[in-house]
Amino acid sequence: MLRLGEGDRSPAAADAGLNVAMSTTATVVDGRRLRSERTRQLIIEAYLSLLRDSTQVPTSAQIAERAGYSVRSVFERFPDLMSLRIAATDHAFAQGTASAQLRDLDGDRETRIRSQVETRARTCETWLPMWRALTANQGDSDELKSRVRLARELILRRLELMYQPELSTLAEPMRRYTLIALEALTDFESWGRMRENYGLTIGEASEVWIRTIDRLLPATSAA
Amino acid sequence: MVVETTKSAVVDGRRLRSERTRQYIIEAYMALLRQNPRPPTASQIAERAGYSVRSLFERFPDLLSLSLAAADHAFAQANTQAAIRNANGDRATRIRAQVETRAQTCEDWLPLWRALVLNQQVSEELRIRIRRVREAIMARILLMYRPELDSVSQVERRRTLIAIEALTDFESWARMREAAGLSFDDACTVWIRAIDRLLPPTPVS
Repeated sequence: MLRLGEGDRSPAAADAGLNVAMSTTATVVDGRRLRSERTRQLIIEAYLSLLRDSTQVPTSAQIAERAGYSVRSVFERFPDLMSLRIAATDHAFAQGTASAQLRDLDGDRETRIRSQVETRARTCETWLPMWRALTANQGDSDELKSRVRLARELILRRLELMYQPELSTLAEPMRRYTLIALEALTDFESWGRMRENYGLTIGEASEVWIRTIDRLLPATSAA
Repeated sequence: MVVETTKSAVVDGRRLRSERTRQYIIEAYMALLRQNPRPPTASQIAERAGYSVRSLFERFPDLLSLSLAAADHAFAQANTQAAIRNANGDRATRIRAQVETRAQTCEDWLPLWRALVLNQQVSEELRIRIRRVREAIMARILLMYRPELDSVSQVERRRTLIAIEALTDFESWARMREAAGLSFDDACTVWIRAIDRLLPPTPVS
């Protein structure tokens, strides 16, 4: 950072002084914004980690305590708990999408099924608590409802892409019916029941999906 | 003798009225759930049933007891409606019979099911009832598709059972009807077709 001499009062020096002052102010503002953003992020993560413990919507006091801030700090970043829920949902979707990149789109049938199942299983394993809270509370907000709808549309689009060689062999409405069945089979709660009620390991649960998707899909087109 | 008979008739009449009130309260609770899956308040239930809040709490110590009584009432009704049909029919007949029965159950009981699932965290008794329903669903699938499921290994049988259960879940039905906008018959077709693909071939007896 520049430092100005005491006796230097030329217009250029005055400009330089203004620039330094502005740059210092900008640095301070940037630092504050960064800290505020980090606090916001930690609050979102605290909310998500509480959802992993229980699907009941956490209170502001619980969230603040888990994040290590005051309740006031929570409400300085989010006007109400619904805004926090929406921000957490968006954060989860962004993370979920980033970690679920499309792979093996051009692979053979077996490779595509395995790849899609592995990705979907990982998403369900990571985001099931968040999904449960979201679907349980979607009645409270149109914004939450639209996010649930968007997530389902993305899941369907991914299934369409991954199994395009098979689905393209079917005429409507059978193509749509197969997609609906695939989506039902690989739903978050289907994963939840396999893991929680039937006590399957990730590998065993994935195998259930792999085998049954293979049976649901029609023969792969030759092209 | 006459006095005793009269007394007994009065007591029976009171018991009958009390039982009827209890039933109306359960029905009011379920009617409110059909409108909104959020648990209704005591005053909403009482108003809907046409009784006072005090009457409600004379029959049920708390709202959790009312929701458990409603769950038991619903399970009993659903079991009566969903009598097993065509268990000895051919493959297509059995699939259609199972799907139509299951679809009707989902259509009728989805709101109550949602409320139970939503509130299961607050009560072990609710969790037990949910588990019992799932076990009954699995047992019925096993019974209806015994010829096909008996023809494969135990691991394969379990996988197929789990897949059919996931496919025919309440929320799967709800998504077809609410989100995908399918008619009752089209939604049944989705299930019939998918189950037919999921099941192993029927052995020739």
